[in-house]
Amino acid sequence: MFVNITIPNWSDFAHFVPEAIMFGAFLLALMGDVIVRGRKPVVPFLITLLGALAALYYSFASPPVGDAGVLGSLVMIDSFAGFFRIVFSFVAVVTILFSWSSEEIMGSTREHKGEYYALIALMTGGMMVMAEARDLVMLFMSMELVALTSYVMAGYMRNSLRSTEASLKYVIFGAVSSGIMLFGMSLLFGMTGQMTFVGIRDALVANPVNDLSMLVVLIMIMAGFGYKIAMVPFHFWCPDVYEGAPTPVSAFFSVGPKAAGFALMIRFFFTVFQPIVDTIDWPLMIAILSAVTMTYGNIVAVKQTNVKRLLAYSSIAHVGYLLMGFLLLTPGGLQAILFYLLVYAVMNLGAFMFVSAINNSIKSEELSDYAGLGFRAPWASVMMFIFLVSLVGLPPAAGFIGKLYLFTEVLREGWYWLAIVGVLNSVISLFYYMQIARAMYFEKVPEDAPAVKIAPLHYVTMALLAVPTLILGLYWSEFKAIADQAIAGF
Amino acid sequence: MGDMVFYLFALMTVLSGFFVVFSKNIVHAGFSLMFTLFGVAGLFAMLGADFLAITQTMVYIGGVLVLVLFVVMMTRIPAQNLPKSSFNRKIPAGIFSVLIFAIVFKVIGGTEWNVLPVDAPEATISMIGQKLLTEFIFPFEYASIVLLLAMIGAAILIRERKIDDDEEVQS
Repeated sequence: MFVNITIPNWSDFAHFVPEAIMFGAFLLALMGDVIVRGRKPVVPFLITLLGALAALYYSFASPPVGDAGVLGSLVMIDSFAGFFRIVFSFVAVVTILFSWSSEEIMGSTREHKGEYYALIALMTGGMMVMAEARDLVMLFMSMELVALTSYVMAGYMRNSLRSTEASLKYVIFGAVSSGIMLFGMSLLFGMTGQMTFVGIRDALVANPVNDLSMLVVLIMIMAGFGYKIAMVPFHFWCPDVYEGAPTPVSAFFSVGPKAAGFALMIRFFFTVFQPIVDTIDWPLMIAILSAVTMTYGNIVAVKQTNVKRLLAYSSIAHVGYLLMGFLLLTPGGLQAILFYLLVYAVMNLGAFMFVSAINNSIKSEELSDYAGLGFRAPWASVMMFIFLVSLVGLPPAAGFIGKLYLFTEVLREGWYWLAIVGVLNSVISLFYYMQIARAMYFEKVPEDAPAVKIAPLHYVTMALLAVPTLILGLYWSEFKAIADQAIAGF
Repeated sequence: MGDMVFYLFALMTVLSGFFVVFSKNIVHAGFSLMFTLFGVAGLFAMLGADFLAITQTMVYIGGVLVLVLFVVMMTRIPAQNLPKSSFNRKIPAGIFSVLIFAIVFKVIGGTEWNVLPVDAPEATISMIGQKLLTEFIFPFEYASIVLLLAMIGAAILIRERKIDDDEEVQS
């Protein structure tokens, strides 16, 4: 009855350090919160912060070399995963630091503050695993872990109806799209009899499946990814969830799971569909999705009066820009995506953090209440201005370089109309981003305007984001090299 | 004989599935769900997936469904207060369902599936156990984290709710 058993090699965990740290921080933070009770959850905060810092340090200090499996080959660590480790642990550090002074998270009526930090640590570990999955099983499980954590975090402000609504919408959309994706995956498995991405690719090359079936499978799997990255037409949850969730959580959602979704999507589609990309009209499909996503996001964002909602639509638009790099699944395009993801993580996190810091003080996210903020909170507003310039894609900020690479790739691949749509969209986005700047600098401070007090920690975290936004716009070549290396490792 | 049994289970699954969707009475819908799940378990058993069939029966019928029925009975939603779906929502939903059915039908009919040769069915439990602890150990361990999260998440989300006074209640 003995099948030949291969005992998993436990020393593999040497390759799994940052993830293990984050999962460990999750467990320790939970226990620490129970043991040390206080008004403020110092223990979980410190544990998760130190964990994220350690993970960040480790990811920088010892980047993965070659391919290393963890307990088998379902999860493999390569330089691509190494790149995302850096992004995710950085996002986690900033979010954890920022949340400590956030009223929405730490306010006196809030409960379960300790679990909040534990969940951030867990989600960070989950996102790292998402970037490492090489198998349909791990693809689905890693996505579910991140999704389940997001549901809880979106509904974290249990006493707020908006937050509860956000959580419920997230759950329902998430369940439907995972269901569709799972169905697509089962069809793919039925066609190829393989679970690993590489196995599926080889089987598809050896025995091509008819075009219609391939397209249907592709669309079904795209539904799952599209939901994760908030791509039109799977974006409906995005504005409501970002608006309803606590702002630090929205900030985390708008970069973390989105980047993780892109990571998994790049690995899956690049591995599975790259050899057969010409047979399925892939470039046209992606071009249309990209154009529709960015146009929809930008046009709807123009009408928003709530800054958080505006940023939510703008993040949909940025997904459209990012999708441009997917056109032909060429390494150049994917490298541009990775670099833009890095830039996007920094600048978008910063913009959300500003909204949260202001909300802390004046309890409003309405554009009209931002009147004269440039004089009421000068330092924070300057940093917000940097983020906005970067989000538009103007030099000297990082967003310009990121967009430059994306557009170059699109032009190189000969999709001129898509590049034109992209440029037109950047012009639209200039309008609404500058509306925020206009409110901050060119509108009179109302007589009865409350004083704006920004917590010291918030200044620190925003500076942590504003400085890289400028640096990446001036000295980007080293970071671009890391992104290039990540794709080269495939 | 095998075909007969298959169609019996398939018919049971599909018909009771229709009842779940179209029944006006939510308790009836819940009970029809039992037959749907049971039919699926039968199909699993026919495919030689004995462990899956048992799990389906125990977890879904024995656990999930019982909970669903408990919730339905305890919350006691009066039948007339159920939100009535309007007529114009039914037509697009119907068209959409038929379309999806047609597409999936065409895909399933028009694809060459990777079919394994039929062996005499044997017990799969020990094989699953070995696979879970060797080749699939990572997802197996990962599942424990997912389940822990599910527990903590449920605990966080179900705690008592006090709506803030300053928040608008209509949304």
